[in-house]
Amino acid sequence: MAHIHLEDGSFSLVWVIVWWTAAIILIGISLYLLRSGKKTDSRKITIAAFCTAAAFAIFQVSIPVFGGVHLNLTPLIGILTGPAIGSLVVLIINILSAAIGHGGWSMIGANTLVNITEVLVASSLFSLLGKITQSPFARAATATFAGLVCGNIVMVGIILVSGVQGVTQSPTQILAGLSLIVAINLAVAALEAMVTGFVVTFLYRVRPDILGGKQENPGR
Amino acid sequence: MSATMISQHIPDLDLITSYAERQDSFFSRVSPWTKLGGLVLVILLITVTRNLEICSTLYVAILAMYYLAGLPVKKLFAWYSLPVIFVLSLVGLLAWSEPGTPIFSCAVTGVTIALTDNGVLLIFTLLLKALISVTYSLFFLMTTKYEHFAGMISRIFPSPLDQIFLMAYRFLFLTLAMTGAMLKAVRSRGGGLVHSTRVQGRIFAEVFALVFIRSFERAERVHKAMIARGYRGTFGAGTAIPRPGLSGYGVLGAFSLAIAVIVWMVPNTGGW
Repeated sequence: MAHIHLEDGSFSLVWVIVWWTAAIILIGISLYLLRSGKKTDSRKITIAAFCTAAAFAIFQVSIPVFGGVHLNLTPLIGILTGPAIGSLVVLIINILSAAIGHGGWSMIGANTLVNITEVLVASSLFSLLGKITQSPFARAATATFAGLVCGNIVMVGIILVSGVQGVTQSPTQILAGLSLIVAINLAVAALEAMVTGFVVTFLYRVRPDILGGKQENPGR
Repeated sequence: MSATMISQHIPDLDLITSYAERQDSFFSRVSPWTKLGGLVLVILLITVTRNLEICSTLYVAILAMYYLAGLPVKKLFAWYSLPVIFVLSLVGLLAWSEPGTPIFSCAVTGVTIALTDNGVLLIFTLLLKALISVTYSLFFLMTTKYEHFAGMISRIFPSPLDQIFLMAYRFLFLTLAMTGAMLKAVRSRGGGLVHSTRVQGRIFAEVFALVFIRSFERAERVHKAMIARGYRGTFGAGTAIPRPGLSGYGVLGAFSLAIAVIVWMVPNTGGW
């Protein structure tokens, strides 16, 4: 997973405002796309709400290694709901998480950007890969891993650009310090890719309509 | 242990909601808008200051409010685990190379790394800021009724963001209970998360998928029931929310002024 586990007061006010503004612009674009299209299907809103709740619940299940890592299922959200609704979902998850101390309020902007990247990459790649392979496992696992790698890059980029208040090291030193976290995140990304691959395969088998398809026999 | 409680160390939403609905302390009667304004100012203050005395004073003041509101302090300390783990796992790594007087050093793959006094101070300051934020957040959640939160969400967020938010809150209890039950099932069969993920990855993923499908089916049933009751994609929350009184505006004004004075006069407020 890629998600900045920094709490409030880690970034300076300027960077908090910068990341919040960038996130609000992206959320604004998502809202515009949703409103400018045909009338928003209330069933889609129900699915998005359910995705938010399920992902938030799974977000809180920390695997007790390296100080606690967790799956965040943002690529799965992207695959299930698409990039526009997926962006709204990750914003709400970050707000709910901040409310219970899982990431800070001031970090919601930065974390939303990281998660929107994951949603966008995974959702787009999942659709694109449909032209190459019919295997839902391969499509979902590849899209998830790519999404999480991109999310990781954005996460590291945000920390390097913003710096952490009180840390006097150079960006190179910070990058060296973050490399362990990046390595752990990539290992968890591989795990999450497998889990998402199996989840999507299972969904294709028993409820293909959730993925916007019709009943079919999935290849593996 | 309530149905929605995944672990002793993660805030229990059932308990939080129970306190929010049943509490009748002075703070429960304060306008939710005042408390929201307070949250914004608290976050602003800990963002612009690194002064340890100010952070310590703020933390003690918020903890005192939490205690005076009759909220469970022991539970709060257990719920601190999550932010503490997160601060230590990231800042704990960065703190090792901070310049300063070494307190402890060791060699890792031939390279000597040292934990300095400035590194320890960095961890302590960010930890304190995290505890301030989480304590005030939980205080806010546990002294504000659901209907007021729903009303605020409805007024602050544009559609369909507010709709997803409001419905997600309702589904949250359902999915947390299901996730908790799934974890209990894994543990009762002798599995831990690490063990189960490694050994039974596929089964584990199918259980996750099953949780998704079951929650989804329930969500669909709720959606159909809502459609039957006239839901057309707009879920209004027209509850009147108490406006801040004169004292509420006064407190927020005084707090804002205090932040301005702190930024102007106190050292270590380089958080711009």
